[in-house]
Amino acid sequence: MTQPGQSPYTAEETALIRKRQAARSRVMGVALVGLCILFFLITVVKVGVWG
Amino acid sequence: MTTAARDILMPAEWRDFWALTKPRVMSLVVFTALCGLLAAPGNIHPIIAFTAVLCIALGAGACGSLNQYYEADVDAKMARTAQRPLPAGRMDREAALHFGVGLAAFSVGIMGVAVNWLSAGLLAFSIFFYSIVYTIWLKPNTPQNIVIGGAAGAFPPVIGWAAVTGDVTLLPVLLFAIIFLWTPPHFWALALFMKTDYGAAGIPMLPNVKGQRVTRNQIFGYSFPMAGAAILPFILGDSGWLYGATSMLLSGVFLVLAFRVWQNEATDAAAMKPEKQLFAFSILYLFLLFALFAIDRMVIA
Repeated sequence: MTQPGQSPYTAEETALIRKRQAARSRVMGVALVGLCILFFLITVVKVGVWG
Repeated sequence: MTTAARDILMPAEWRDFWALTKPRVMSLVVFTALCGLLAAPGNIHPIIAFTAVLCIALGAGACGSLNQYYEADVDAKMARTAQRPLPAGRMDREAALHFGVGLAAFSVGIMGVAVNWLSAGLLAFSIFFYSIVYTIWLKPNTPQNIVIGGAAGAFPPVIGWAAVTGDVTLLPVLLFAIIFLWTPPHFWALALFMKTDYGAAGIPMLPNVKGQRVTRNQIFGYSFPMAGAAILPFILGDSGWLYGATSMLLSGVFLVLAFRVWQNEATDAAAMKPEKQLFAFSILYLFLLFALFAIDRMVIA
């Protein structure tokens, strides 16, 4: 049984969780940057800066 | 604690979220939407066109996620779907639900604000139709599930058209009709040689409920109105000879393959070569038909 304050995961499992979290964060980051650029471009088109 | 119970606590990989969106289905949806968008009269800014196609892709991804959320137990019983993220235990169901609802709301909202609210409304209705009407109501209850449910997959070219013009005329309705009438022969050809898979999962596909002879009759029967709908844009003068000639040729090949399915009496999946050929050709048929329609319309324009 897990003691208070002790992680329920083994060292290998913790490393795997960190790896998956890092990969998901990278993908989320790329998606957010892409959306920021897209929203900026949509705004420019809607405002009519490019005619 | 069992190994399986510990595994479920692991955060899902981003690839599992990607798999939830059914990327292969999404590619066909994006393609037909793009063809509808290119074939529509009028101009659309490339950035807005890109946004429209992106929103349609995200909407299709939402449909895939919500479908897999609801059908996780059914998917676990079929060899073809058992390795999807939910039945394989790589993701918990709530994550799939939240991902699907989030994608749906995001895609419809952006479509409305950036493109127009008619295309956003059509996108919202197609997501509702696929997720609720088809997945929850039709699929587990009637062997006509994919006939009515096929409407959900027929919306993308109409949405692409509406993104450009802001309205829906006869021509996008014809594009809708082509996919709507193409869906039954396409899926029933698959259902014939995947009969045991669907049977094991308790899904009332036509071959399991009405038998293989009735299914083969229906495949051949649906191929005629499908071919008629495919040629109609040319007959009505809405396309040139490029589309007219190729739609007749492709529809002719489709009818020949459907006829060979109708002739076949095989009950063993290994002997269902005509069914496998029709299924493979039906995908090529739709890709070529819509690509040539868009090219033809752009040449006319």
